[in-house]
Amino acid sequence: MKQEELEHLAVLARIKLTEEDKKSLVKEFDSILSYIDQLKKVKVSMDAEGRVGAVKNVARPDIAEPISMEDREGILNEAPQRVGDFVAVKKIIEQ
Amino acid sequence: MKIDIKNLIIKKAHEALKKGDFTSVELTQAYINEIASKNKDVNAYLEVFADALESAKKADVLIKAGKGGLLTGIPCAIKDNILIQGKIASASSKILEKYHAVYDATVITKLKAEGVVFLGRTNMDEFAMGGSTENSAYGVTKNPRDLTRVAGGSSGGSAASVAMDGALFSLGTDTGGSIRQPASFCGVVGLKPTYGAVSRYGAIAMGSSLDQIGPIGKTVEDVEAVFNVIRGKDIKDSTTIDEKTYQVQSASSFAKASEDRKLVIGVPRHFLGGDGINKDVLSAFEKSLELFKQKGYEIKEIKLPNISYALMVYYIVMPAEVSANMARYDGVKYGMHVSGKNGVDDYFETRRAGFGREVIRRILLGTYVLSSGYYDAYYNRANAVRNMITEDFLEAFKSVDLIATPTAPSPAFKIGEKTNDPVAMYLEDIFTVTANITGMPAISVPCPDSFLGKSGLPIGLQLTARHGGEETLFRAGKEFLGED
Repeated sequence: MKQEELEHLAVLARIKLTEEDKKSLVKEFDSILSYIDQLKKVKVSMDAEGRVGAVKNVARPDIAEPISMEDREGILNEAPQRVGDFVAVKKIIEQ
Repeated sequence: MKIDIKNLIIKKAHEALKKGDFTSVELTQAYINEIASKNKDVNAYLEVFADALESAKKADVLIKAGKGGLLTGIPCAIKDNILIQGKIASASSKILEKYHAVYDATVITKLKAEGVVFLGRTNMDEFAMGGSTENSAYGVTKNPRDLTRVAGGSSGGSAASVAMDGALFSLGTDTGGSIRQPASFCGVVGLKPTYGAVSRYGAIAMGSSLDQIGPIGKTVEDVEAVFNVIRGKDIKDSTTIDEKTYQVQSASSFAKASEDRKLVIGVPRHFLGGDGINKDVLSAFEKSLELFKQKGYEIKEIKLPNISYALMVYYIVMPAEVSANMARYDGVKYGMHVSGKNGVDDYFETRRAGFGREVIRRILLGTYVLSSGYYDAYYNRANAVRNMITEDFLEAFKSVDLIATPTAPSPAFKIGEKTNDPVAMYLEDIFTVTANITGMPAISVPCPDSFLGKSGLPIGLQLTARHGGEETLFRAGKEFLGED
């Protein structure tokens, strides 16, 4: 794996990597990829539908349900930055 | 009074509580004392709950009123990735160090309804990623049978808590073997249920098509008792099934007839010949098969043609799902927040600071296999092979009731022995991942002491059954351990 490839992945995953991180990760990736690359040798009929046993995808109506004030407070209190009834974040869009 | 917790099992404890030999408060205190004496060495528990005795008091009221069930007043340990409202659930990560759960997991709701006593939360590999609990942000959990060795992972704390007599049972989670392997290393029983048998609502997600919550205990009977309480269809987890789901499906005459005949155990010998398997493990495995033969079981050699690809499938599908599940840890809604240059940079800083090495490794690997240009070659291909492996197992279960392998290729290894080589660590999962990939239930039962090697380190036997086949696992497991 090339370092630029790893850097691209880190951007996608929103994880900052130090130069040291990158060096050791590239080595580890090479080792892991050479293991999982063996899968390329398998003859497959591409039935690639993700499924587990009899479990089928189900949908439910998209209806909002009220929750208690207590639960609401509990959730909001966990936010690192809370302003009233809002979870606060830095401005994303510049002028 | 001195309660003999070392020789307690759930039924005995229940009867004693019912008769009034001791109270749940006394029983809970006995476990708290045991934890106090052992936990500084073992590090099974991250936190012992201050309100455990209060719960025990409430359980005693139920028991005295004659309203107690089998699990009422029974003290247990809960893995740090299962949410208990108001308590910290950190998944042994720094990123959730101070996170307090705002709701109960469904399994917790069910256990609370029975009047179970929660002693505390147990240590694990961070976000359940690992096979040794060495990836915990809060120190490794040591094997109570040999403190220089790992307890296994990722449910190392849960397995160790039971093995050290610090809980009568515990809950863990299993994505690639994380209940069964530590159970094997610590000499206790661990069950990964059929995918969907137990609700994942309130379990911190790792690999959503692979994860299951499951019980760890000293006996198969104990594990069965807990499973029966925590199982069930849950409106909050649409991947849950009910008891009838697979009964209708696997209505083959062979399967149905199993109630009236001795069980047939299949062994995929072609997969057990490698150098990578410890000699003591192989020897214990063969002795275990002999034991089943003596009990009248038929042992049959089977082929699982694609089983050698199972680990590769797992290390593509699992990181892919991990990368999606870890995206929520962004320092906005909950957990650790580290400030960066701007709003997006906050994410980069927070996630680097909050996640450990293995978590970062798996997120990046998952990002890779799902990225454009690679999606087909890795993720789609892995799913196709996953389906092929499941077909292999379904084919085998047309003529056997159970499939047996060792649980792990080695007994507990020394702390630090595998930390420098990720692939060496991943190879520990070689026998356990198949049950997660296929969604079938599997149990690890400890081999009798007389089967073990000179080191005396515990070795587990793994049995896998068809979807919905937990009863078959319990039946065989109880016979193996002489519980009947």
